[in-house]
Amino acid sequence: MKDLSVTGVDMVYDVPGGTNVHALSNVSFDLAGGRLLSLLGPSGCGKTTLLNILAGFLAPTGGSVTLGGEPITGPDKNRGMVFQQGALFEWLTVEENIAFGPHMAVPWYKQLDRRFVPRSLRPFVPKPGAAEEARIRARTEELLEIVGLGGFGDKQIYELSGGMQQRVALARCLANDPDVILMDEPLGALDALTREKMQSLVLEVWKETGKTIILVTHSVEEALYLGDRLFVMAPRPGRIEKDYSLPFAEQGLTMEPRELKRSPEFRQKSEEILNIIWEMEEEIMGRAEGAI
Amino acid sequence: MNNTGRAMGEGVMRMREDGNRNAKNPFGLFQRGGGNDQRKTVTFGDSSSVRSIPLWSLVSLVLLLGFWFVSTYAWGFDGDLVELPDNLIEAGETYDSITDKQRLSLCSQNDECVGSYSQLLTPLQFPSMRDTWKAFGELNDVGFKDNTLWGHTKASLWRVVRGMFWGSLIGVPIGFAMGLSGRWRGFFDTPVEMFRPIPPLALLPLFILVFGIGDGTAVRLLIFASVWIMIIAARSGVQAASLPKVRAAYSLGASKRQVLFRVLLPNALPELFTGFRVAVGVSWGTLVAAELVGAQEGLGAMIFAARPFFRLDVIVVGIIVIATLGVIMDIILRYLESKLIPWRGKV
Repeated sequence: MKDLSVTGVDMVYDVPGGTNVHALSNVSFDLAGGRLLSLLGPSGCGKTTLLNILAGFLAPTGGSVTLGGEPITGPDKNRGMVFQQGALFEWLTVEENIAFGPHMAVPWYKQLDRRFVPRSLRPFVPKPGAAEEARIRARTEELLEIVGLGGFGDKQIYELSGGMQQRVALARCLANDPDVILMDEPLGALDALTREKMQSLVLEVWKETGKTIILVTHSVEEALYLGDRLFVMAPRPGRIEKDYSLPFAEQGLTMEPRELKRSPEFRQKSEEILNIIWEMEEEIMGRAEGAI
Repeated sequence: MNNTGRAMGEGVMRMREDGNRNAKNPFGLFQRGGGNDQRKTVTFGDSSSVRSIPLWSLVSLVLLLGFWFVSTYAWGFDGDLVELPDNLIEAGETYDSITDKQRLSLCSQNDECVGSYSQLLTPLQFPSMRDTWKAFGELNDVGFKDNTLWGHTKASLWRVVRGMFWGSLIGVPIGFAMGLSGRWRGFFDTPVEMFRPIPPLALLPLFILVFGIGDGTAVRLLIFASVWIMIIAARSGVQAASLPKVRAAYSLGASKRQVLFRVLLPNALPELFTGFRVAVGVSWGTLVAAELVGAQEGLGAMIFAARPFFRLDVIVVGIIVIATLGVIMDIILRYLESKLIPWRGKV
């Protein structure tokens, strides 16, 4: 597993005709391969900006980001991303969505679409990509089972519920076998019950695949439950305020989630973090009032 | 548990829908809103519960046809007041087989007949249904202006197909370029904004002078009519791609080319299709008008050629064929849309 290293990352957005926004200021951390990191903080603290920098969608204005010693310069299939919603391809079935990544690596002449060839003629039409297709199909089936969507491969995206769509998004990301999975509030749009199920799924996937996962969330409970490590971030300028290493994700693999979330340690940590965030919000409000 | 719940729900919905098509409600004629809408207590202002009730479409159609029938024929001539001249009898005609126009001219020579005449519209103002039907048969068998009705229709349709083909082939890539690059958007913004508001027909005289009268002129005019619509449709189609979708594709290892052909293009299909439908409608309207002056064959040319001969029946047949084809094209495109873009409106 490759280690992630972030050194002195700055991100300044130029606002035309206004003051510059300091989205991130001197953010540094190292993340060993195979850990599950939660990013938590009030809105405007640069969580999503940091995630986009890690994914390679944004280039930081200062500092460097490396994965396994190699600098991150752009998006790569090594770093998969799960979005909040709306990132699935509606014109493809569930199966085809999951196979999208692997298909991209197959040369075009091996992807000749035989759907329009009459069935009776197909034996006579060459099929250069048969081996790849079989491999991808097998992998897709496997992933469908992992995310609990066995038998839903032929369904259309719009036939699935929100929770199921996020399962597809996760499976699609896993299909490329990335080193790092970045999640941008993946469970934000789900209802509470579905959310809990999905949290368990993320933990299971993390345990089974041993991948590095970085998860942005608004929910303190989710951050605590899923985070093997947890950054509480503060706004203006965006920075890492607190760095926790937490036992709950490991415990969550064996314990009942409800029981874990009821435990005094969990409660106590939750209070602590909520207080930190409250203080930050108060500070922002105070500053805003002062400005007025 | 979840699944069974949904399945049961669907079952109930289906029962209700089937319940709307029974002996008391053949073809869903009297169907109002479907499913749960019937249980709504307030529907005034709730546009989701307002659906076209087929019965009333039928009523308006019957009213239109009835008005035509009543005003042109039903109060028509008293048959026995006029004797047919010998030449018509020798030609094998009877009083029922001659056209309204012939009947009017015979009638005008007979005082008694003129007194009994009670049509709202004379055959010189609007053709009766019977004459129109006769003209339809004549156009099919003999034809008018060197071509049968089908020949004229074919010429018109083929022009629209060619115009739409080239219009899309030119417009879609330009629209995509405008959606993808600031340089191309800047470059094409000026011509698009300048030419788009020009009614294609305003350019017809210029086109005729430059390209001459003929098939090519009409097709070029149709390309002009459709290309701006397709450019704007393609541009908004590209812009409709959400950032997460594109970013997801990149992070899954897609190249720019793959993002274009496997994400942006399919994602733009709904907009492209809407643009196509609008462009077909505009082309159809433009074409018929363009053929009035710029072509030797086609429905518009047929209508225009009928004018000096006062062949109102031919004109009305032409109009009906144009209207019907317009509706049929829209139905076909809607059907294709539901087949090709099933996700539309569901995401």
